[in-house]
Amino acid sequence: MKNRYNWLIHLILIIGCAIVMFPVVFAVIKATQTRSAVLTPSLVPGTEFFTNLRAVWVEASLWKFMRNSFVVAIAVTIGKTILSLFAGMALVYFRFPAKRFIFGFILLTLMMPTEVLLVPLFDLVSQRPPASWEAFWLWFRDPRHVFLEPSPFGFGWANTYWAIIVPFLASATGTFLFRQHFMAIPQSLADAARIDGATPFQFLSRILVPMSVNTIGALAVIQFVYVWDQYLWPKVIIRREDYQVVQVGLNLIIGTGEGVQWGYVMAGALLTLIPPLLVFALLQEQFMRGFALSESK
Amino acid sequence: MMKQFLAVLSLVALLGMAMAQTNIEFWYAFSDDARSGWIQDRISEFNEQLSADGKDYQVVGERKGSYRETLDAAVLAARQGTPPHLVQLFEVGSQLAVDTGIFEPVGNVGGGIDLSDYIEPVINYYTIDGAVNSIPFNSSSPILYINKDLLEAAGLDRNLVPETYSDILSACETIAASGIEAKCIGFNLHSWFFEQWMAEQGAPLVNNGNGRDERATEVLLTSDAAKNIVSWIKNLNDNGYYTYTGKLEDWDGSDAIFTNQQAVFHITSTADLGNITAATKEAGFELGAGKLPIADGAERNGVVIGGASVWLTTGHPEEELEVAKDFIIYMTNTENMVSWHKLTGYYPVRNSSVDELTAEGWFAEDPNYQVAFDQLLETIPNQATGGALMGSFLETRTIIEEAIQKVLNGAEVDAALEEAKKLADAALADYNSNF
Amino acid sequence: MRDHAVFKSRFLPWLLLLPSLIILAIFIYFPALQTFVLSFYKSNLRLGTRRFTGFENFYNLFAGAFAPAYRQIFLQSILFSASVVFIGLALSVVLATFASQKIVGARVYRLFLIWPFALSPAVAATIFAFLFNPEVGGVNLILNELFGIKPRWLDTPWLAFMLVVGAAVWKNLGYNIVFYLAALQNIPKEYAEAAAIDGAGPIARFFRITVPMLSPMTFFLLFTNLTFSFFDAFGIIDILTRGGPVGYPPFDNAGMTTIMMYRVFQEGIEQGKSGFAAAFSLFILTIIIIITVFQFRYGSRRVQYGDN
Repeated sequence: MKNRYNWLIHLILIIGCAIVMFPVVFAVIKATQTRSAVLTPSLVPGTEFFTNLRAVWVEASLWKFMRNSFVVAIAVTIGKTILSLFAGMALVYFRFPAKRFIFGFILLTLMMPTEVLLVPLFDLVSQRPPASWEAFWLWFRDPRHVFLEPSPFGFGWANTYWAIIVPFLASATGTFLFRQHFMAIPQSLADAARIDGATPFQFLSRILVPMSVNTIGALAVIQFVYVWDQYLWPKVIIRREDYQVVQVGLNLIIGTGEGVQWGYVMAGALLTLIPPLLVFALLQEQFMRGFALSESK
Repeated sequence: MMKQFLAVLSLVALLGMAMAQTNIEFWYAFSDDARSGWIQDRISEFNEQLSADGKDYQVVGERKGSYRETLDAAVLAARQGTPPHLVQLFEVGSQLAVDTGIFEPVGNVGGGIDLSDYIEPVINYYTIDGAVNSIPFNSSSPILYINKDLLEAAGLDRNLVPETYSDILSACETIAASGIEAKCIGFNLHSWFFEQWMAEQGAPLVNNGNGRDERATEVLLTSDAAKNIVSWIKNLNDNGYYTYTGKLEDWDGSDAIFTNQQAVFHITSTADLGNITAATKEAGFELGAGKLPIADGAERNGVVIGGASVWLTTGHPEEELEVAKDFIIYMTNTENMVSWHKLTGYYPVRNSSVDELTAEGWFAEDPNYQVAFDQLLETIPNQATGGALMGSFLETRTIIEEAIQKVLNGAEVDAALEEAKKLADAALADYNSNF
Repeated sequence: MRDHAVFKSRFLPWLLLLPSLIILAIFIYFPALQTFVLSFYKSNLRLGTRRFTGFENFYNLFAGAFAPAYRQIFLQSILFSASVVFIGLALSVVLATFASQKIVGARVYRLFLIWPFALSPAVAATIFAFLFNPEVGGVNLILNELFGIKPRWLDTPWLAFMLVVGAAVWKNLGYNIVFYLAALQNIPKEYAEAAAIDGAGPIARFFRITVPMLSPMTFFLLFTNLTFSFFDAFGIIDILTRGGPVGYPPFDNAGMTTIMMYRVFQEGIEQGKSGFAAAFSLFILTIIIIITVFQFRYGSRRVQYGDN
């Protein structure tokens, strides 16, 4: 009975795949064509791929945007994973007052995407820092200033990497995933470790981390893709090409008007796509297992 | 021992000082290679001069995208205390720029600036409260571009230059009746043209002396002058004479319509004269130019000078600002304004540059440039042609454009303009209430 | 909360939590508080001015001169989100179900379907911007060749709206399919087999077994897709249409592809009205909170859990 429908399944899947693939196949073909061929309906791959690639990489300074994105994505991915691991461990393997409240405090941030906080976050990151600690203390010691008035100070981080790294180092999703995962690890392991006299950090590095490879992989994929793909925040807070990330840089390459070198732009778009694709491909197994595990719990 | 150590130390310090050049940052808004390349060339020339003079300064140029983005980037940097020294800003951002308080009027820097050589309408625009705030750089106004070959194909005189709205309409009638494929007229939907048509009729865009006597409080969008303009556009559109890409402020798109010979007439900036002349040669038709057509019965008051100027920011050592100022004066000197004009079609903002171009026979060689120039020189200096000042100019532009688009989509002129006035006044009141 | 606590230290758990807590407090909670505070101020980024104005921003949002524009933006944001979420999830669940069948080449199909996981809004929009460019885009070159038409995709109100929805759906398809495939792996085969023996056809099985069994995942994806359509679609809109074009009545008060987040950006950053933008953000935040509460209150009851 299965065979009766197989052709239909294939047909639908082929149509589905074709629709999903078409835009990117189109981009790949156009990225290989000459300047004049790019503007024709021709879908015959050309020979100019490396010329276009070089043009967008060097002349349009895509290399700079890519470098910035790499720095930011790697810093955030590593930082987020470590901080979430720590927080998850604290929440599961220690007893301390107000634990439920702290967990709630972390989880509640899921409801507040940074985009909604765009304007005050922009103020906080871009305003000038207080002139001195005294100035800061004068402001800070009065709760009316802190709670009822717009803040006069910030970090002065606009146009720096700090602005696109530090605010994203903590993660409710990550903490939640690690907590769920640790709860699923048999209690006996932790007890055994303690009896053997392992310190919490030995326990972390020798037992928890090796047992959490899938979760770490899954989180790394999500975070890397998330940070790599960010657009609004860097667009707003970074106004110098030297520190701009690739997603916004790509738009700078398009510029305005009809005189766009679409062949270059398509080559640039494809290059931008490759790093998250690689990370996803490399960690796909861990990713699927990491999620299947937390799904079934 | 100690002596030697000190000697080495001072040597290192000296070397360090020699290496440590102070950067003078210049942020500009052109993203096309020709224009930003021209600016970069002037920067390298100036830097060579600086190092030949043994000065430890260096001008560094950085392009920032649109004018709006350039202004925002400068404000953001100033908030952190690291503003660039020089910022290229468009004319409609003038009030806003003054209000941000991050700019230093150029007259206050060093020995001020000698204005005697600048063309009057240009200085007229950039004088706010009696002070010249910035150094004019790239200035332009809109003119009528004509495809002479298509005119002839439609059975009209190939040297016809329509002067008024009704001239255009009657030419359009003939063109439509002739059955040629091209539309009569195309221009991009931009508030800039509306502003120019207001000025041509001597009508201020905002109250309080076009915002120059006092802060403006009202946008005069329901005046007869405003209605003349929008009714004419509606008339063109309803008769099928008008074409545009559908996108607001689509300069390149409307240029393409004209150079692809899909429209007989085209209205756009003189700054595109260079590009369009080149494109028409490629497309193989003869290009004519005329002054901006104006409303019937109005005295030709002239145009508001559009474009941009360069502003100096506050918060830098006096010496750095002087170098910055020197650079801008160098970039806009007689000779450089001549080459800038030839490259782009932007007006050379100095009288001496105009004289040089005339002496060279540049205008005689290409009468289209002469047309553009006459339009500017014949402008009557008054508050209408001096250009409006308002803090919410950017919002107002969007409101005007959307109102015209509504009219093109079928709305009544009076209703659309009343609605637009309500919105523009609200935006202006909102801006003014910041103070 | 099950208690796994094994290590005894008063000091260490706080040390482990502190970095996360500090960052969340400074970069989430403090800005959230400031959003609230700022919404009562008239504040301008460019001018650096701030003045307490009470409810003026909220008045402007709901009853001021531009209120009709905000109403239109609210309506079309809902329409946009509903379209993106519904079309996106429906397509994904169907494709994922087919791709998880035991057929020849299933792995290849899956590969072709899930790679857009790595696609960013900006890249998706960039490719779409070229593909649908009226003069030189691939779609119009082909349409022109076949039918002699060149639709102006990005400048025609409803076409632009549909195009933005299409780009958003395409961008998110990989993400949705990945998660559906993971969930499909966890559905025990016996259910389908039992239903097949009972004589249920494949379509009946899909609706009676697959869809209900996937509901926890759908519940999760509903939330992430909603967030995506509210916020991450920003990049797509910014690159493709910048919020335009203005539509026909009654959609003529603002650009048809302006979603709420885009307007917050335009007014708060581009026009520098940070106080007003904060009030607008607060409105969006309220919607998010209502949706979340609603989902957890009513959504979770109807969800079928696989291991029950």
